[in-house]
Amino acid sequence: MSASIDMGVFAETVFAIADEVFSAMIDGEPGGLIPAFEPFEVPADATYAWVDVHGDHPGRVLLATEHETAMLLTRALLAMDDDEPVSDADFVDAFGEIANVVGGNIKSLVPDPGPLTLPQVSPLPPTDQAELLHDAQFIWRGRPLAISLWSLP
Amino acid sequence: MRALVIDDSRTMRRIVVAALKALEFDTVEAEDGRQALDVLESGTEVDLACIDWNMPVMTGYEFVVAARANPAFRDVTLMMVTTESEHGQIVKALAAGAHEYLIKPFTPDAIKDKLQLLGLVGYEETV
Repeated sequence: MSASIDMGVFAETVFAIADEVFSAMIDGEPGGLIPAFEPFEVPADATYAWVDVHGDHPGRVLLATEHETAMLLTRALLAMDDDEPVSDADFVDAFGEIANVVGGNIKSLVPDPGPLTLPQVSPLPPTDQAELLHDAQFIWRGRPLAISLWSLP
Repeated sequence: MRALVIDDSRTMRRIVVAALKALEFDTVEAEDGRQALDVLESGTEVDLACIDWNMPVMTGYEFVVAARANPAFRDVTLMMVTTESEHGQIVKALAAGAHEYLIKPFTPDAIKDKLQLLGLVGYEETV
């Protein structure tokens, strides 16, 4: 995927895509998601959600954030109260769907992309031999959230 | 009006159903294209199907092809609701018989706009 995407364009576009997703489906208005001013490390209690793009330039779009932030995102997406209990099934489905929508739109930046995989959600990052191409870091409701693009073998 | 919402994501079905209910649609749900065909073949009449593309068992594109191959479903309006935003995919779905194409993410107003274009929702009178 690295040879197929202009990383400068990607860096500019990924924020526009993420901002649109969060504005339309999570916050209901723009401005909820902002670029991080300082780089951060993904916390130890992170939750990961990702989709892979098959085809001539296989790649992955990976969301990573604290588990509590992922829970808040789930509640926001499902229009639930901030203290309302979330089932495991709803959590996996909703957080995965955010990765799916972000990843599906990023896929459109790849020339002649193949199919998108169904989203996966895990407390552990994927372990295959992927190469990090770009790590976009954001702040949502004061909480760190990273969206990264990976090249797959 | 009744709409069939086809998406493997329960989250997305919930969001689409909420938007449609606000427009006074009754809704039925299916988790993939095969389930959706089962709903139609059971005799449940729907005016609109909102169809995700990437689903297990049977994709949204395969559902459109199958639905369009059956004359009994010719009056069902088919609207793709998907992250598949490449021009080629849009053309492919429309060529297979989909009437409209809504790219995720979307707002409730975006669904309303598409349904107004399709004639399934009226335009408000302006003063």
